[in-house]
Amino acid sequence: MEALLTVAGSDYSRGMANADTNIAVDEQAWILKAQRADARAFEVLYRLHVDKIYGLCLRMTGNVSEAEDCTQEAFIQAWNKMAKFRGDSAFATWLHRIAVNAVLGRIRKSKREQDRIQAVSDVQPARVVTGDTGELRDLAAAVDRLPERARHVFVLNAVYGYSHEEAAGMLGIAAGTSKAQLHRARRLLMQQLEEQGFTA
Amino acid sequence: MTEEFDDKLDRAARQLATEIAPERDLWPDIATAITQPRRSRWTPMFAQAAALVLLVGASSAITYVSVKNDSQPVVSIEPELVFEQTSFGANYNLGPGFQDARNSLRAELDVELMRLSPEARTNIQENLDLIHTAISDINVVLEKEPENVLLQQMLLRAYREELTLLSRVGGLTRNLTMRNDI
Repeated sequence: MEALLTVAGSDYSRGMANADTNIAVDEQAWILKAQRADARAFEVLYRLHVDKIYGLCLRMTGNVSEAEDCTQEAFIQAWNKMAKFRGDSAFATWLHRIAVNAVLGRIRKSKREQDRIQAVSDVQPARVVTGDTGELRDLAAAVDRLPERARHVFVLNAVYGYSHEEAAGMLGIAAGTSKAQLHRARRLLMQQLEEQGFTA
Repeated sequence: MTEEFDDKLDRAARQLATEIAPERDLWPDIATAITQPRRSRWTPMFAQAAALVLLVGASSAITYVSVKNDSQPVVSIEPELVFEQTSFGANYNLGPGFQDARNSLRAELDVELMRLSPEARTNIQENLDLIHTAISDINVVLEKEPENVLLQQMLLRAYREELTLLSRVGGLTRNLTMRNDI
């Protein structure tokens, strides 16, 4: 298995070293193999996209443990749904949608949000490793403290660049609600960040 | 001031890392999950209960035909009806209308059975036994999987079959409609 992973990794690395076109072609080949239940091909896709999916889950949950669980759940669901992927959207976008669903599903299963926040604050490491520095780290921490819906909309819209319509579709809310939640998120972030000198 | 803040906030948000490497390799757990054969929820007992429900449906129809054409006065029998107590989990409840209809039909059953031939009575008793066996079997599986919606639906179907059978025996269908509140 280790040798196979090395081969797969090499193919992937070569694709990354070339142009985006090559990556897309390579990815398409792996997708086709994964759709034929090739777990090794799916692992290549996993390694190609895991940072994107984990990043999204971490931003949405604000918690390492939950982000890991959601990432794993998202890839397991993706494996089960591979045959349904028809390429209408980019594979990364398709995975993003599954990851958002995994996060929302996990939240639905959990107890009240307040309990979750309390539990998270009890077990969460002091610093989540995101690569953010300086003011960005303060911003990331402030985003983590946002209420659930406002946080989700802010992450999808402001961080990942999805339109309100796209974010609303992923979250199962109306586009108007997405706009209202973004406004709410901005006001709450302003309250938090101004105290830390993050001013215009 | 607010717009300026929003602009700065949006610029900063776009600089936040969107690709973050997990602190540990998550693949081994995923590999285990996707390579393990999925546990079928269609357990042998589950399948047996489903088959019983189907059998009850077909058998009830035959009983209906038999009862419909039978008008011979006969000696009464004492049917031993044992009704299962059950829990439907969080998704279904037996409505009070269902319980009322069932109690009423049970009270009428003795009288109605007296009008039937021994063969028809035996047929009805066998059907009722089948239904009660199905209900009992489904309840056993439901205890292990109380939130299994399919099982809950099967149990409801079994109760509906019982209600339908009782109402057919009593010729009371005119007073009943399909219960949607159970």
